[in-house]
Amino acid sequence: MRHALTANRLSDGEVVFWSGADWVGAFAEARLYDSEAEARAAEAKARGEVTRVIDPYLIEVAAMAGRDAPVSFRERIRALGPSNRPDHGKQAQGGEAVRALALAEGAARSSGRTALIRRK
Amino acid sequence: MYRQDDIDAAFLADRTAEFRGQVMRRLAGELTEEQFKPLRLINGLYLQLHAYMLRIAIPYGTLNPTQLRTLARIARDYDRGYGHFTTRTNLQLHWIRLADAPDILDELAQVGLHAIQTSGNVVRNITADPYAGASADEIDDSRVWAEAIRQWSTLHPEFSYLPRKFKIAVTASPADRAATRIYDIGLRLYRDAEGELAFEVGVGGGLGRTPHLGATIRQRLPVRHLMSYLQAILRVYNLHGRRDNLHKARIKILVAQLGIEAFAREVDAEWEASDKAADLPLDELARIRAGFLPQGLTPLPAVSRRLEAAKADSRALARFARRNLAPHKVPGHAIVHISLKAIGATPGDCSAEQMETVASLAERYSQSEVRVAYDQNLILPHVRLDDVPEVFAGLEAAGLATPNIGLVSDIIACPGLDYCALANARAIPIAQEIARRFSDPVEAEAVGELKIKISGCINACGHHHVGHIGILGVDKKGEEFYQLTLGGSGGAPGEGEAAIGQILGPALPFARVAPAVGDLVAAYLAARQDGESFIDTVRRAGLAPFKAAVYADAHPL
Repeated sequence: MRHALTANRLSDGEVVFWSGADWVGAFAEARLYDSEAEARAAEAKARGEVTRVIDPYLIEVAAMAGRDAPVSFRERIRALGPSNRPDHGKQAQGGEAVRALALAEGAARSSGRTALIRRK
Repeated sequence: MYRQDDIDAAFLADRTAEFRGQVMRRLAGELTEEQFKPLRLINGLYLQLHAYMLRIAIPYGTLNPTQLRTLARIARDYDRGYGHFTTRTNLQLHWIRLADAPDILDELAQVGLHAIQTSGNVVRNITADPYAGASADEIDDSRVWAEAIRQWSTLHPEFSYLPRKFKIAVTASPADRAATRIYDIGLRLYRDAEGELAFEVGVGGGLGRTPHLGATIRQRLPVRHLMSYLQAILRVYNLHGRRDNLHKARIKILVAQLGIEAFAREVDAEWEASDKAADLPLDELARIRAGFLPQGLTPLPAVSRRLEAAKADSRALARFARRNLAPHKVPGHAIVHISLKAIGATPGDCSAEQMETVASLAERYSQSEVRVAYDQNLILPHVRLDDVPEVFAGLEAAGLATPNIGLVSDIIACPGLDYCALANARAIPIAQEIARRFSDPVEAEAVGELKIKISGCINACGHHHVGHIGILGVDKKGEEFYQLTLGGSGGAPGEGEAAIGQILGPALPFARVAPAVGDLVAAYLAARQDGESFIDTVRRAGLAPFKAAVYADAHPL
């Protein structure tokens, strides 16, 4: 299973993904890690970025309908925005990558997020 | 309404200044998130899926037009032009920037609003009868007592770190419009045989993972001892409530484990031993009461010829008057419900423009009062029947005149997985789909009173346990599934005794939920007798006909 690194931006809570060089808003630009060890190392490094992001964690990613998408339904909502307001969140920008994410199917319990919820 | 004094204002200003410093230190990296999180939470600032969320307390659901306009301006300037009214009569702003939060709190403080005690293990916002001061059946204005409790419990040093959050509701009418049985403490005011005001005190209600209805621990508490008795309850809870297990920390678990009699004995022993110094001085009660004086409305003919003529000309107005008006204690007036459940809309959402419309209507037609009800609707409590056509026209122009109060499309739904970090499943789209299915107002009226309540997780912010039809989002191997319950009741007028719903059967996938509600309604229409309501039919007929309707063709799930 591949992984992406995600977090919420400190300044506004916006969902962000690690591109390998910077934090970006679009899941399509996220770096996908084949190696779990590499992913864990990136996560550990991100935990030091206390003025930029909150609670970085890894999510599982899989190919769905030919495109990579977060496995968990919760993470797809984070990557898109609230389903009751298509004009809000990242989905508002539209585009092919957003459409593909919206059509992704299949789900599994969120991995890192479960621990985060316990902490809240 | 009650106005905060100079001490309140100075305190709020100090508190916001303190929080501003904390935010700056967090942004500068001088505070870690672990250090900062408790500080933001005690100021009502949560982090949800997509952004920060600010939960603003609306004490006992009462707002004046200035406050509502301020909320509208904040929603427009700092959020995305709308707010979300919750089942605890709070307002949530879902798209807040951290750096803006202190400015927002400053603006709120200017109009006597804040976000203190909207989070954490403290006494939360006190709720009351949304008809307070307007209904003929009330013994007193429940907000007087709610305000007294608010003042007593705000930053109370002894109760700032309870085992878990604590919610208190007050009603002063035999008709329980405040759902007091599902609260940690439910206070029901009545006049005793000697004509004295007294409270029946219920304890241990609550929904969530382990739903309980509150039980009465004192049938007659003289009102002068309210605070010392509340203090005794909270002291017993503070001492014995479980802090080792989050899921067993609410007072309902303590009451269930000790037994109601033993719990009551503990409280009574604590209360008898106390010096009653906590009780409210009469002059302070009088000061608070002065903020809730009767409106001095002039009685008018019970039937408004103007309204009747307008209704004859407009089927839409006639339907609105049938569904959205309730009797007022002063003849010739009405309590007007404003539905925040337009077909296909998000339950409880209200745009800045809509807030401004309601503020203007309240100013002009409702003695400058607005109420927020726990069913996520708004109320104009003091409207002359003669003015209803203008109020209706104003609401209709703003998309606020949906005539569905108490009907199948008047659905309570928590924000669910679309926003909330705790949710397992979405609640809002389920509500939207059900509402669309019953969008025909004629059909909805034919179905009659039916309360659907949806929660996106077991924390039950959507009150699903007490829905006539309750819908709970659950996570089954990462997929959204929904468990249906039937026969729940919050104990409001027309729905009989409060009750926890029973699980109907196996959870359903997202796509099956709205059709299943359609099946339940069809089963009800087939089974109902003599104009029975949905809840009455469930109580008489039991679950069997409804199970058969939903699961008749079901394959094993």
